[in-house]
Amino acid sequence: MFKQPRSSRAKLFATAAATALMLSACAPSDTDVVTLDFFQFKPEAVGSFDKIISEFEAQNPGINVVQNHVPNADTAIRTLLVKNKTPDVLTLNTNGNYGRLAEAGVFADLSDHPAVDTVLPAVKDIVQELGTRTPSEINALPFSSNASGILYNKDIFAKYDVDPPRTWDELIEAAETFKANGVTPFYTTLKDAWTVGPAFVNLGGALQPEGFFADLLSKEGDASFSKDYPEAAEKLKTLFSYGQPDAPSKDYNAGNAAFGAGEAAMYLQGSYAIPAIRAANPDANIGSFPYPASNDPAETVVVSGVDVGISIGRDTEHPEEARKFTEFLLSQEVVEAYAKEQSAFSPLKASPPSEDPALEGLAPYFTEGRLIGFIDHQIPSSLPLAPLLQEFVLGGSTEDLLASLDNEWNKIAARTISNEKDKP
Amino acid sequence: MSTLTRPNVGRKTPRVFYFMVLPALVIFAVFHTVPLLSGIYFSFTNYAGYGEWSFVGLSNYINLFRDDRILNAYGFTFLFAIVSTVAVNVISLAVAIALNGRIKFKTGFRGIFFIPNILSILIVGYVFNYLFSNSVPAIAQALGINALTTSILADADTAWIGVVILSVWQAAAFNIIIYLAGLQTIGGELYEAASLDGASSWRQFRSITFPLIGAFFTINMVLSLKNFLQVFDQIVSLTAGGPGTSTESISLLIYRGGFEGGEYGYQTANAVIYLIVIIAISFVQLRILQRREASF
Repeated sequence: MFKQPRSSRAKLFATAAATALMLSACAPSDTDVVTLDFFQFKPEAVGSFDKIISEFEAQNPGINVVQNHVPNADTAIRTLLVKNKTPDVLTLNTNGNYGRLAEAGVFADLSDHPAVDTVLPAVKDIVQELGTRTPSEINALPFSSNASGILYNKDIFAKYDVDPPRTWDELIEAAETFKANGVTPFYTTLKDAWTVGPAFVNLGGALQPEGFFADLLSKEGDASFSKDYPEAAEKLKTLFSYGQPDAPSKDYNAGNAAFGAGEAAMYLQGSYAIPAIRAANPDANIGSFPYPASNDPAETVVVSGVDVGISIGRDTEHPEEARKFTEFLLSQEVVEAYAKEQSAFSPLKASPPSEDPALEGLAPYFTEGRLIGFIDHQIPSSLPLAPLLQEFVLGGSTEDLLASLDNEWNKIAARTISNEKDKP
Repeated sequence: MSTLTRPNVGRKTPRVFYFMVLPALVIFAVFHTVPLLSGIYFSFTNYAGYGEWSFVGLSNYINLFRDDRILNAYGFTFLFAIVSTVAVNVISLAVAIALNGRIKFKTGFRGIFFIPNILSILIVGYVFNYLFSNSVPAIAQALGINALTTSILADADTAWIGVVILSVWQAAAFNIIIYLAGLQTIGGELYEAASLDGASSWRQFRSITFPLIGAFFTINMVLSLKNFLQVFDQIVSLTAGGPGTSTESISLLIYRGGFEGGEYGYQTANAVIYLIVIIAISFVQLRILQRREASF
């Protein structure tokens, strides 16, 4: 009776021993081969990075790169950090979370990296604004960028002889033209609260006073949403008043499908929605233009985020190899090939404007560096921004929205107690 | 018989019973008590869910009472829980009495009415979400009922009604079963005697049925109020707390602020307060309702 378990246990030991032997056989024998742990957050890009890695390994026989991709990157990187297993090289979505990790000193300083001089300064600033360990450090370099603007249906615009608007008044005029002809000007999807966010980020980012969030954080001066945001809020409401009547019961997926099918002239979403719209209707004739937040076309800017940023772990055991790999990643051919594959923007100075017809309205702003970051990356994630905006465009008042934003901001500031080491 | 038993055996519990309890005790402690205690511990810190943290004393608890978002969540949760508890008990008692009567296909009906209980709330929730957003407005449009042509979930004033409808539909199944069990404990001769005395069916219900299922009524009231106070899945699948924050329940707020908002310590303090509130309410409810149960 007892023989069976014992023999199976013996088998288990044998397997374990064999595995250990195999592992030891392939791991430390590499006196000349270095293995880099490469954390890659973007599930859509696994194939693209596999190609890049095999090319790199062919050129550098001494380095073996292992791509480690996970479903929920923001959580996964935290668990790795808790276990003190910072990857050697990382791609991360450079958002507010990245900023907090950078401030905590997770990433190496890249300020002497050769790619620092090849990326667009405006894009570099967007990354730096999110947070760094110390102000002089650079903790991530941009690999690919996205952009938020207004998408439009070129066929509908041509039918009613409307040109892409360059000022706020032209935008409203265009919306009125469509409305008068029974065409929905904007397809809005209020069931998903976050879909109000992109328009808010664009209007707010363009219309807020210089250094608004820095003033708000330092509590010096009298910066507040109530004082500095009424124009952005009013314009946001105006745009959403041109939505279709059943907007409150439509979600983002329904919006992509409906806009792809030509049910509205314009759509308040960014470059990231284009693949989904094309999936719904491969023949959708889409164009894009930046939000004309004011009546001065010279002031128009494009809101852009760094979709993929590249960092090196601060305590990596192979700093030289890691640097070599990041230099390869940030070379012009690799960056451009990736941007083309993923319908993204290249953040390099030397890259020509994107040739994707849906992006051509935004591309010149990129090359000229007329860019600002997503302002919601400056807002703590415990502030319920999306629900407040949703409530507002569904029929709330401007005063209530701005008072709530101020109130939530102040409450969070009052209850956030920083750790001893972070105190100035 | 008694002369054969040794005097000690009856008093001393055999050791094997302790061993039988042990696994359950260990599992309960590891997966319930330890997390609870660590949660209470972190409610005194500024832990974000990762990274470094330090003790902040009672300040999380003090800030909780100053946070109007939390007070709003309490308001919504209690409104929802009380309305749903009353509705679910009235409906399930009525259905249980009907299913206890002399009707055809009684067992079949009982099975059908139990189905909602075995379905996952999330799945049912997404089905209801579709019905509220698309089917109901389409039907209302065809019938010319203007009030219902937009989804009730899209209006901050009516969204909570949608949550109540889903929750009551789902929770009634379990309460019906408990009431049915209660109704079967009442002997038929009581009704026979009552009808000989000329009591109407309403009088029979008021004077016989309801007092005799008092214990079942108590347990249903306590359990359903407790379950509704912890409402989470229903809201995630129907409204995600919206429109705005109009249907943000306390559990949803704890999850959002703690895990998505990076205020783990603060929301853990909220959870500790809420635990105390639920325990207190259940206790008071039990005391009041038990007092008015009929005793034999």
